[in-house]
Amino acid sequence: MTDALTRIRAAFADAGVTGRLHALDIDTGAQLDEGADQPVCTASVHKLCLLVALHREAAAGRLDLTERVDCPPDARTKGPTGLAVMLDSARLSLRDLAYLMIAVSDNAAADLLLGRVGLDTVNAATDRLGLTRTRAVHTFGEMLATLKEDAGPGGAGALTDPHVIARLRALDPARTNRSTPREMTRLLAAVWRDEAGTAEHCAAMRRLLALQVWPHRLASGFPFDDVHVAGKTGTLPTVRNEVGVVEYPDGGRYAVAVFTRTANPAAALPAADAVIGTAARLAVDGLRARQATG
Amino acid sequence: MDLVRHLECFVAVAEESHFGRAAARLGMAQPPLSQRIQRLERELGVRLFERTSRQVTITAAGRLLLAEARELLARSESFLAAARRVRDGEKGLLRAALPPDLPGETVAALLDGFRRRHADLELELHELSTTEQLTRLAAHELDIGVVHHPCDVTGLELGPVLRRELGVLLPADAPQARLDAVPLRSLSGYDLILFPRESAPALYDDLLTACARGGYTPASVRHGQGTSFVRGLVLSARAVALAPRDTARRDPPDAPRSARPDAAESGRPGPGRHPGSADVVWRPVAGDPPAWRHSAAWPEGRGDAAVQAFADAAAHALRTTAGAVPDVPARPLHLRPASEFWL
Repeated sequence: MTDALTRIRAAFADAGVTGRLHALDIDTGAQLDEGADQPVCTASVHKLCLLVALHREAAAGRLDLTERVDCPPDARTKGPTGLAVMLDSARLSLRDLAYLMIAVSDNAAADLLLGRVGLDTVNAATDRLGLTRTRAVHTFGEMLATLKEDAGPGGAGALTDPHVIARLRALDPARTNRSTPREMTRLLAAVWRDEAGTAEHCAAMRRLLALQVWPHRLASGFPFDDVHVAGKTGTLPTVRNEVGVVEYPDGGRYAVAVFTRTANPAAALPAADAVIGTAARLAVDGLRARQATG
Repeated sequence: MDLVRHLECFVAVAEESHFGRAAARLGMAQPPLSQRIQRLERELGVRLFERTSRQVTITAAGRLLLAEARELLARSESFLAAARRVRDGEKGLLRAALPPDLPGETVAALLDGFRRRHADLELELHELSTTEQLTRLAAHELDIGVVHHPCDVTGLELGPVLRRELGVLLPADAPQARLDAVPLRSLSGYDLILFPRESAPALYDDLLTACARGGYTPASVRHGQGTSFVRGLVLSARAVALAPRDTARRDPPDAPRSARPDAAESGRPGPGRHPGSADVVWRPVAGDPPAWRHSAAWPEGRGDAAVQAFADAAAHALRTTAGAVPDVPARPLHLRPASEFWL
């Protein structure tokens, strides 16, 4: 296990990132901890908390996931995917909005759902699961607004300026949506163990997390056709995260949460994306080796 | 009224938009926090927040005062840092560090500039890599450093970022030495000499990316830092190095001359021409050259007068003796869909 941690730290250093990781064997409770209790900025990983809250509201009968909502093209929260970039008005069910939110991290879909569910309900849902250090303090649109305000007149181009990076509120866990790696694996384990809602709702959530399209982070560490990977990423300048569950055909199920910060503010850093997968595999291998040797 | 403490409460509530979260962040209970905000509002005669049953939002008047409140808090931090220095018997001692790649003239100019303003202060100066500086700054074993960007700036305050453009050191008889400016893509047959990665990993990666962007992906990277060692590799190992212009001037004047002076080189007093050793030449990189970006850096809230004076002296010395210029605006940034954020 020490060996796994040493190799995980070396992998983070090679990729030029500071990494926090927690890996949890969902069935035995065995775990691996590299800074797992450090506060981290969740960024779009918080869409997972919103998904859980949405299903909890549906289970309680306070909303109907098949209800259709209007998504007018103006006043959508910005983003590079999904409804956030689509040009015309749309009408989608709440659960299809949830699909866009998880599959492509659609910020517009997420804020439409958040408008419906409310921040307090998201926090109540994570509270109920005992996640006391997980907090949503603003919508995704509000988070992007702080980014824009802190970047100043230089816009996105200013995000490579060290002075700007040092003052971004969106990168300070005390002032933005936050959690810890350990609380995120606990949340995933609850979804996989049917404890975050009814079995039916948990299955629906697992389905969406498995439909996430991004191959470059967690999934890149498991280039095995017989291994199932489901997860949710989160990204901000210097921040690259993913939390997810890796399932082996022998029944082994592992929740892994990896949160990283790069020293380099560049947007395109493929090694920093890939190390999330590498570190996750080293962690899962560590847990599986421990199980094999009893 | 303890103004500083009340302003901390004001800023925390403004940033959290929530009394409970602000109280948690300040490590206090919610009722006394509410009382402090009310007291501050009474004293100032200004309503800072609108409160509803569900949330608290800052008023237009509150927003006007927020920036000044933050500034005042930063000044008070700086004041406390100075007091700490005095109390801890460190009066008269500033622990500072410089990277190993600054020209001697820059180090001398920095020291002169600093002494002119703080003749009474003892300066404990170390030569440390960016990585070592960041570790010591975080441990408060260093008051200020001069680091290479990009690096992890979490918890740091920075002086102005200054840029030193890099050229290429290559053998005088290389065909590229005949060019006024060398395109990176023309170097593809050469290995690249770089400093060891651990001394500034993000910069190391960034330089390799800049080379790749310019069409130069070296088949292998050789590690070296000392001027003589690098020169030896350039002369005999079919390798080139990236270096600022001043490196060319740094060679000892009595360095052995090339046994076979390049005809194209001799007689041309071109830029970066080695005064003493015509066997290795420095040439600018054509187009968008890679660069070193430096700034002073110190732990957040500890920027007292001595730290500020060192930061100013460093910036001034880099500008006047190392040809450093204010950092230019970044190249266009094309965010890709996986970026997830958008401005």
